[in-house]
Amino acid sequence: MSTADFPLAENGQRAPLIAEDPATAKELKLMIKDWRTGRATRSLGQALSDGYIAVFGFLLVGAMIVNVVVQAQGVVSECSSQACTSARELLPWATFALCVAAALVLSRLFGPVLASAAEGFWLLDAPVQRSRLLWPRLLGITIAGLVIGMLAGGLISALTGSPLDEIIVWGIGTGLAASASIAFAAAEQGAERHLPTRLVSYLFGLVGLVALLAVIAVAAGWLALTIDVTRGTQIGFALIAASAIVLVLSAVLALGRLNQIRRTRLLSGGALVSGISGAFFALDFGLIRDIVVDRRAMEIGHVRSKPGRGIGLTPLIWREAQRLARSPQPLLWVALSLVVPYAVDALGMGSVMPIFAALVLFGAMVPMLNGLRVLTRTGGLARSMPFSTKAIKRAVVAVPAVVALLWAIAVVPAFLGFEGEHHPFGTAVLMAVVTGAAGFLGAVRWTTGKPPNFGGPAVASQFGAIPPGLIIGLIRGFDMALLITAPLLLGLSPVISLVIAAIVAIVLLSLDWESMKSQAEEQQKQLRAERERRG
Amino acid sequence: MLYMAKRGSVVLKVSGLRRAFGPVTILDKFNLEVREGEAVALTGRNGAGKSTLLRCLVGADKPDDGTIEVNGTKLTESAVEIRRDMATVIDDLDFFPDLSVVEHLDLLARAHGLSDPEPVVDEILHEVQLIPQSGQLPGTLSSGQRRRLALATAFVRPRKLLILDEPEQRLDTEGIAWLSGRLKEERENGLAIVFASHEPSLVNTVATRILHLGAARAGEPLAPTRDESLAEPSLTPEDVVAGTPTTAEPGGQQPAQKTTQKQPAKKPRPSQGRKPKTPNQRSTANQRRNR
Repeated sequence: MSTADFPLAENGQRAPLIAEDPATAKELKLMIKDWRTGRATRSLGQALSDGYIAVFGFLLVGAMIVNVVVQAQGVVSECSSQACTSARELLPWATFALCVAAALVLSRLFGPVLASAAEGFWLLDAPVQRSRLLWPRLLGITIAGLVIGMLAGGLISALTGSPLDEIIVWGIGTGLAASASIAFAAAEQGAERHLPTRLVSYLFGLVGLVALLAVIAVAAGWLALTIDVTRGTQIGFALIAASAIVLVLSAVLALGRLNQIRRTRLLSGGALVSGISGAFFALDFGLIRDIVVDRRAMEIGHVRSKPGRGIGLTPLIWREAQRLARSPQPLLWVALSLVVPYAVDALGMGSVMPIFAALVLFGAMVPMLNGLRVLTRTGGLARSMPFSTKAIKRAVVAVPAVVALLWAIAVVPAFLGFEGEHHPFGTAVLMAVVTGAAGFLGAVRWTTGKPPNFGGPAVASQFGAIPPGLIIGLIRGFDMALLITAPLLLGLSPVISLVIAAIVAIVLLSLDWESMKSQAEEQQKQLRAERERRG
Repeated sequence: MLYMAKRGSVVLKVSGLRRAFGPVTILDKFNLEVREGEAVALTGRNGAGKSTLLRCLVGADKPDDGTIEVNGTKLTESAVEIRRDMATVIDDLDFFPDLSVVEHLDLLARAHGLSDPEPVVDEILHEVQLIPQSGQLPGTLSSGQRRRLALATAFVRPRKLLILDEPEQRLDTEGIAWLSGRLKEERENGLAIVFASHEPSLVNTVATRILHLGAARAGEPLAPTRDESLAEPSLTPEDVVAGTPTTAEPGGQQPAQKTTQKQPAKKPRPSQGRKPKTPNQRSTANQRRNR
């Protein structure tokens, strides 16, 4: 636009720009939609037809999952022991409570109402009511919470062998509770309050934990619960009603407060989402975790510094213990994962318990390995310490390894067996140690993995060119958990698993691949030089 | 306590270094010796290869050819002796998200064997003006404060060689003045320093030698041998010495690259390690610690 386009006043000065008829929020949104559709290079149908393999794959995998769930529901529903009954009645409660807690935690982390940087700059500055721009977003995330909650509630209810009507009721109840939690968090976001959301999330997390512990206690015979199995549906209806009331009230409050949410708060959630989605599209799950960890550290901001102890590698180990004491949440996840082997055994699925338990421990151990992650994602910090990389790795995993060992000791009774298969004490101890090692080493592998290199050579595939590390990155960590527990699943001696775990530990923590690679390259170079000299 | 080498001994030796990215050769047949008490400044425009050279020197990047030795030990990134002797501040320094500023410095000092690191940590915190931020987590620091913390990590530990990539980045004027003085003191105390910089005052205060790296430019017969801009004010035509010319890839598309070298303006002082503190200085440090 040239200067001639601006009206000039009589004295030659620029006249102030006056918008007599500013655009409404609806017009702005229509304009953006028009731009977006105008620049689209292909329609939705074309995109789906291009990605038919992906669609076909999702349908196939989805059908397989549904089939597995139906089969499992059929098998488990025939179990009528007290352990099975307690799991059937209590696990949906646990799922309900944990879904509410998770919805609240995620809502607090992301907003739940958020806006991208572009929206913040271009739209939120416009003289329009923010609530008109933001309410569809609130509706969208509330519906997403409903769907995800329904799937989780229904799935767990089905896997515990509940009849169809209970599955439906618990599915709807959990979904409504999750969406009500999101609406509640949005209402609190509008009031600039964080404490109520945090307290309610802790409360529901505790309820979920207690429900899970009750399943174990009943399965172990430590607790005798008189459970009325005929009331499941009625209780579910009561939860639906309560959740619906909270949902409506919270949604009304949240909508009324949408205008009050500060732009920085909206943009902060948007920045987090864009960072995470960028990492997600690169399938760099480590980066996603880094973003969340950094975000949490920034929320904390300031800590009471504590003195170190010792010299050499000792302070590194000591700091790991201090960091764990400062942020003990990872311990809670490990404690929660203790429930899994007991719950799986209670459900009569003892034969697959090692892999389930190892995978859950793997997930729970990852937050404990932040130190290892920082020291391996870039070389700078490790380089500033006078130790070899392998020594540093071993030092920073010492504390998590002790926690994994304690976890293994705590799950020995589950391997001794309450229901179904029983193992002698020695075998049970070995199996527990191997399962703990599988989870721990899986987490170590996941944490130390390098992200896919999109700048290097790529491999041709149906999805286009992909870097070779991309697929390996998807299964990293899971592969170790499966490899170590495979002999147990096949009914072989746990000693074999122990040997595999030892080899994996040596490879991950005692070999310095970079040095070995450098040495090999140096030898190659010398060999080449020698050849050139001779001839 | 600082580990000190014999006076005048070679701390860093680079021989025949070559680094190329695809068809573009950044460094070729690059040789460099840095003795204790010497400070070598790398200058040159963006893309000249300063950071690439420094990344090779610290082991973060792997040269295509050539050798690098630190105190006679062949460089590998994870060699314990080299990690003990070489303090680095390049872009890949990371921090623990949940350890405070002072805890980072305490950890590094203890890792390097300082059993009572508190006085050293307090002193360096005071120097980099991070005492008010000592309890903050690194994620909450401003970019300038993060740079100060990164510099503090290099000064809080024993060292024989400092490698710094544009250490003045994000520092305010006062910070640059402090850094110049500190690096000059380090050099005078016998440490070897290699740093890349675009800051004339820093280069002129600290450097005993300046290596001007010229970037290859397509279509030009020769890369510029020197720059008259303020970035290298101490460079004069007389200073230009055919140090170690770097050549381009065969084919004639890439012009030859030339490295110019300025000899020390004055001889470095005998290396005596960190100057012992006077009683007065000790008393000041104790007062800081007590505070």
